[in-house]
Amino acid sequence: MIVAARLVRDRRWSTLGWALGLVGLTLFTVALYPSIKDQPSFDELLADLPDTFRSVVGYDAAVPLRSPAGYLQARLFSTLAPLLAVVFGIGAGARAIGGSEEAGTLELLLANPVTRSRVLLERYLASFGLLAGLIAVFGLALLFLAQPFGALEGVPTANVVGACVAVFALGLLYGSLAFAIGAAAGRRGLAVALATTVAVAGYLVETVLAAAGDLGILRQLSPWHWYLDRNLLAEGASPAAFLLPLAVSAVLVATAWALFRRRDLR
Amino acid sequence: MSQPVIRAVGLTKRFGAVEALRELDLEVERGEVFGYLGPNGAGKTTTIRLLLDFIRPTSGRIEVLGGTGADPRVRRRIGYLPAELPIDPRWTAQDLIDFYGKLRGGVDPGWVEVLLGRFDLDPRRRVGELSTGNRRKVGIVQAVIHRPELLVLDEPSSGLDPLLQYEFQLLVRELAGEGTTVFLSSHVLPEVEALAGRVAILRRGELVTVAGVEELRQQARQRIELRLARPADATRFAGVPGVVEAQTDDTRIRLVVEGPVGPALEAAVGLEVQRIVTHEADLEDVFLSYYQEQPA
Repeated sequence: MIVAARLVRDRRWSTLGWALGLVGLTLFTVALYPSIKDQPSFDELLADLPDTFRSVVGYDAAVPLRSPAGYLQARLFSTLAPLLAVVFGIGAGARAIGGSEEAGTLELLLANPVTRSRVLLERYLASFGLLAGLIAVFGLALLFLAQPFGALEGVPTANVVGACVAVFALGLLYGSLAFAIGAAAGRRGLAVALATTVAVAGYLVETVLAAAGDLGILRQLSPWHWYLDRNLLAEGASPAAFLLPLAVSAVLVATAWALFRRRDLR
Repeated sequence: MSQPVIRAVGLTKRFGAVEALRELDLEVERGEVFGYLGPNGAGKTTTIRLLLDFIRPTSGRIEVLGGTGADPRVRRRIGYLPAELPIDPRWTAQDLIDFYGKLRGGVDPGWVEVLLGRFDLDPRRRVGELSTGNRRKVGIVQAVIHRPELLVLDEPSSGLDPLLQYEFQLLVRELAGEGTTVFLSSHVLPEVEALAGRVAILRRGELVTVAGVEELRQQARQRIELRLARPADATRFAGVPGVVEAQTDDTRIRLVVEGPVGPALEAAVGLEVQRIVTHEADLEDVFLSYYQEQPA
């Protein structure tokens, strides 16, 4: 795992920056909870808003916004947490092969006694190992920092862990898409642009469009639907939130591998 | 031992409509320094990228060290200095040496130290902070840290000052003396002339000729200047075998001779020649004629 170790080393400072940012965000969010929980007007306010807006903030009529699960879902798990995981995943995925090929460093690396398959696999594992580490830091920060503010009262730890794994799986999916495009085309910008477009489209389908009308099968195909289907903290993540993204990611990596092995470097 | 280190057979590479390399047949023998000359865009880098399996042939094949460049075990025995050296600017030379050293199954730290010393390189500085020349040094060092059997050099002296060029040539000669095969691609003649025994000349993706440097030098035209005691006429050289050009300038006669100069010297007998000034046969002339032949 020499190639993977090198990538982790190269990204250690930027990933640490991300981790600190996530911890800060978590602390800020849970610290605000005590001032929210005694304000019934928040739920009333949301009840009056259009469905589209409520679905964007992950509002679920069965889970009051003042409850820990409702609050954290609205503030973190339906918004910032998956968004940041997807942004990190796409960035890391696009850079792993496409970015280094564009920078020219990949060719020099491949002059060494390593196969393309090995470079592809090690860089994939390292890139998304970093994502996993990042989400683990986030989950642990949440579990610890929520205690003094009662922001996880009544929420089973298993649900928090499940929600974090679902966040990781979503970031992995879009990151794998960026990785595959980068490995197929040797271009970082293209990988970021396409993967971001697909992610935004899926998000809009699940939140804005689905609230506006019945989309049928289209909605079922959006990974955001697998993820946002329910309140992750109150009800626990559905197996679809892990299994489907993992399956899609596996297909994407296999495709990336098949294409990257055969083609000419740029 | 008789097996060539590099063997290209009918090697062809097309990029879309562009034919970068056409039906290349080439053999590089073990232990030789092989010059690969051609103007920019002739297909030299394409050949190297095919050799290292960065790109795949459209047809034909290229064998290296008895295998193919796709095999990591073969690449373990190759050292590669690319024309442009993209290294992560945040890395230090030490990072690069450690990383590549590990990938190549470990390197001799004593040898690395010798190399760093010879090229006066501080391994702790970030590559992004280095001058062009120093970055080239990092490239040279990484190419030889694992003592490769085959050294593939693409435009090695670009960005090197004369002193460094000298040090680099010394290193290449030393390694060649120890049995390393060197494939030296360049568009500038002097570095090839200084190092190579045999030279291939490439033009527009096609091999024009493969010849020994000495052989090419024989073909080169010689320029001879005769300095005379009194003004003379050059007409006596007209029709003399080998004399391509004869000009008079007061007491000087300038001759351009192709092949042996004997007949020209015989024709000069009785001219009261005071001095003969010759210039080292200039391979540049030979190469220029190869480069320019049959314009498409």
